[in-house]
Amino acid sequence: MSKLLSWLLGGRKPAASHLLLAPAAAWLLIFLVLPAAWLVALSFAKNGAYGEVIWSLGLQNYRRAFDAKYIPVLLRTLGFAGATTALCLLLGYPLAYFLSFRAGKWRGALIIGLMVPFWTSALVAFYSWMIILGKEGLLNSALLRFGFISAPIGILYTPFSVLLGLVYFYLPFTVLPLYGSLEKVPRSYIEAAYDLGAGRWTAFLKVTLPLSLPGVIAGALLTFIPCLGDFLTAELLGGPRFYLLGNLISNQFLMAQDWPFGAALTSLLLIGLVAGLWAYRRWEPDA
Amino acid sequence: MKKGKGLALYCAGLYAFLYVPLAVMVVFSFNNAHRNVVWLGFTVKWYAALFKDAELMNAMLTSLELAAAAAAIAAVLGLLAAYALVRHKPFRGREGYAALLDAPLMMPEVALGVGLLSFLVRAGYELDFGALACAHALICLPYTVGAVRARLKSAGNERLEEAAMDLGADEWTAFLRVTLPLAMPAIVSGCLLAFTVSFEDFVTSFFLAGIGIVTLPIKIYSMMKFGVTPEVNALSVVLLAATFALLGLNAWLASRSGEASRA
Repeated sequence: MSKLLSWLLGGRKPAASHLLLAPAAAWLLIFLVLPAAWLVALSFAKNGAYGEVIWSLGLQNYRRAFDAKYIPVLLRTLGFAGATTALCLLLGYPLAYFLSFRAGKWRGALIIGLMVPFWTSALVAFYSWMIILGKEGLLNSALLRFGFISAPIGILYTPFSVLLGLVYFYLPFTVLPLYGSLEKVPRSYIEAAYDLGAGRWTAFLKVTLPLSLPGVIAGALLTFIPCLGDFLTAELLGGPRFYLLGNLISNQFLMAQDWPFGAALTSLLLIGLVAGLWAYRRWEPDA
Repeated sequence: MKKGKGLALYCAGLYAFLYVPLAVMVVFSFNNAHRNVVWLGFTVKWYAALFKDAELMNAMLTSLELAAAAAAIAAVLGLLAAYALVRHKPFRGREGYAALLDAPLMMPEVALGVGLLSFLVRAGYELDFGALACAHALICLPYTVGAVRARLKSAGNERLEEAAMDLGADEWTAFLRVTLPLAMPAIVSGCLLAFTVSFEDFVTSFFLAGIGIVTLPIKIYSMMKFGVTPEVNALSVVLLAATFALLGLNAWLASRSGEASRA
């Protein structure tokens, strides 16, 4: 027995490595790879009159995803993911810069401080935004009290509140890779730029910013890709009629009972994900 | 020009943006008023009401059991996988395994949820606690693998194992007496992260909970549908406090073992 275990742990034969990895790999195969493959297969099937699946294969679900009714949802999802990414980069870059160059002894605490919202349940975070943004919420009460408005205005359940929620939730996803790449910028290069007569702005624009570009790309992708599949933000902050791709997918499975169409939408999401990761991989080696 | 004063102020503002909502929720969970925005005095009655709610206590129990099951599965699978990835001599397919093990991090939760839902239903499997625990173990796996991998990779440990074997221990004995005790802080840390991930997961549970299973986040969600109420405030604070406690415990253990954990 202990001979066998020693053989497994010693790992001199590849078979031992495969055996040790087999349980985890099987888990991923059964609960991730097979369901994803199953969805792709399902996306070519047809939906029956009673929500049953009819296996006459074709592209009808994909054609439907791109017809006039659903194009706006796809475009809106791309738009919100793009806007969230842009805002997170713009808002987050100065913070990452501060953490890397200026924070000094506070750095550790500030980075942990950034991790906490990252780990906080999105459900709880968005609930607290509901308290603030609602018709009888804090923001409306404050605006009323100071006379900026005469009646409560709709802030919650608007595209604005969805964008706010997305930026709130994904900001740490953007800042941490930005910080990581700023940490790698050799300080001597910046010193050299100063020595050669560059001002602070010139040194930043010509040295720091270009050298931190890998972090910008990584941060952008780590924000953009999860945003494409985001479900909870619009569900909680967007109100019942506001759809992003994730909500449309969820609806096909839980309400409309059109699984093949939902599977096609999910496949489109997965294609976007794989394309994004592939582009990142292609780009990464020369970083 | 004062160097970086404006930048520091800007960053303070950004942190306020991140924390003010959470602070507001905590403050108003102690507010003695049904309308959330007027402060009418301090009370803990909303918390007291939570503990009297049997359904809620059940949801709490379900979430705890689920997180424990998911973390346990993820810990065992993750330990074996991380050991093979770090300690074994390079073999064909190692990169592939590593990429596969990180895949749950990139997979959109909606895709995972609807994929598993339709796959399990098609396979004739009734959605039950076991199915949900398996799905949670999947999303927890990258965290346990990551934590243990980082620890095993850190310098010095490998030499201790070699020393044990030079002294006549076989691989199994060296694993039990040297590797496992050395990896223990990372295993605990990975378990805590996994527990946190499972405990506060909403989206995966939302799609897979079937009919009878109500976790704490699902309960919060269904209460939220009726709008902002002080009870939901208190319940959200409980979930938030649990997260803080788990992360704090993790940080404390990490500082004791002198090892940065992957969070």
